[in-house]
Amino acid sequence: MAINKALKFVAQLSIDKASQALSRFIRVGAKIEMDDIYMADISEITGKLSAESDEVVGAFIDLGGDVKFKFLFFVNAQDSCLLADLILRRPVGTTTTYDQYTSSAVQEIANILSCGIASVFTSDFQLGITISPPTVIHDFVGTVFLEYFMSIAVEQNEVMMIETTFKIVQQNINCHMFIIPDSKTEKVLSYISNTL
Amino acid sequence: MNSQEIVVGIADYKVAKAPVVLSTNLGSCIAVCLYSSLHKAGSMLHIILPDSSSGINKDGIKTAKFADTGIPEMFNKLQQVCGVGINDCVAKLFGGAKILQQVSNNIGQANEIAARAVLKQLGIRVVAAKTGGEKGYRVKFDLITGKVQCQIFGEEIMEY
Repeated sequence: MAINKALKFVAQLSIDKASQALSRFIRVGAKIEMDDIYMADISEITGKLSAESDEVVGAFIDLGGDVKFKFLFFVNAQDSCLLADLILRRPVGTTTTYDQYTSSAVQEIANILSCGIASVFTSDFQLGITISPPTVIHDFVGTVFLEYFMSIAVEQNEVMMIETTFKIVQQNINCHMFIIPDSKTEKVLSYISNTL
Repeated sequence: MNSQEIVVGIADYKVAKAPVVLSTNLGSCIAVCLYSSLHKAGSMLHIILPDSSSGINKDGIKTAKFADTGIPEMFNKLQQVCGVGINDCVAKLFGGAKILQQVSNNIGQANEIAARAVLKQLGIRVVAAKTGGEKGYRVKFDLITGKVQCQIFGEEIMEY
């Protein structure tokens, strides 16, 4: 699928909505930036990501309905503790190890972000979207990616990746968010972007 | 001697001669490592599903996704590129964890069973395996020694 300016605009719109929703939720500025939107071979992209051995906490969500996406949010395990403190309105530094609160924090952020993205399609483009409960994994970054890719990799050799990083103001927390539309949704996105 | 590291992504395999380290991360996928100490050569395949007969195998889909098509293809490549015969070759298996607890079927276990069956059919002996569990794996396969360093998330590195 061709990645054109209009498609980038739709992706940016989704990311901006997600960014606003997250900032409201944690009451601290969160700036999400789209790093890249590209087509990737599943073996190459997972090979690249498997080279990393970081410990992360990730949450993935399936968006279904008129447009289907796979959504992944992940953060370094240490930084997930800071996120838990922000969400629980505790002094930053209270949480020191990964536990059920950090797991819930990552789960909740993934919910907020994916709902922000879904709202672009439901309110701006009148499309129906369902959102699955988040699945949270605390593991090697490569393993989190593999499980995220698994159901797509079964049917496709190539995927469209929308890759973002974001920063939480004053806390120096770097988070990552990936969105992969399924092959049928790429056609819907193409239609939307052509009508803009 | 410094070895070059080659990372193997899902639905892919790499064939190489020493000094090379083949590495990958695994969840429910299985890494099938083949090695010939005679040739100091080996290969690693990263499969995601047990067999290609599930109807998913459409035209153009990568055969390395499946145990039944990926393992024979990888062995043929190892034979062509490095001259490794069946009798020179041994296999090691890693991965196959059940990462997603809410998913009822255990795809990792099915992958391991299928990989073992294909290797048996080809006449390749499985000399080591570390499979199962609920956490991810990180494996590094050194083609100088034939040893595989395997780390399960949260645990110490073990050698097989």
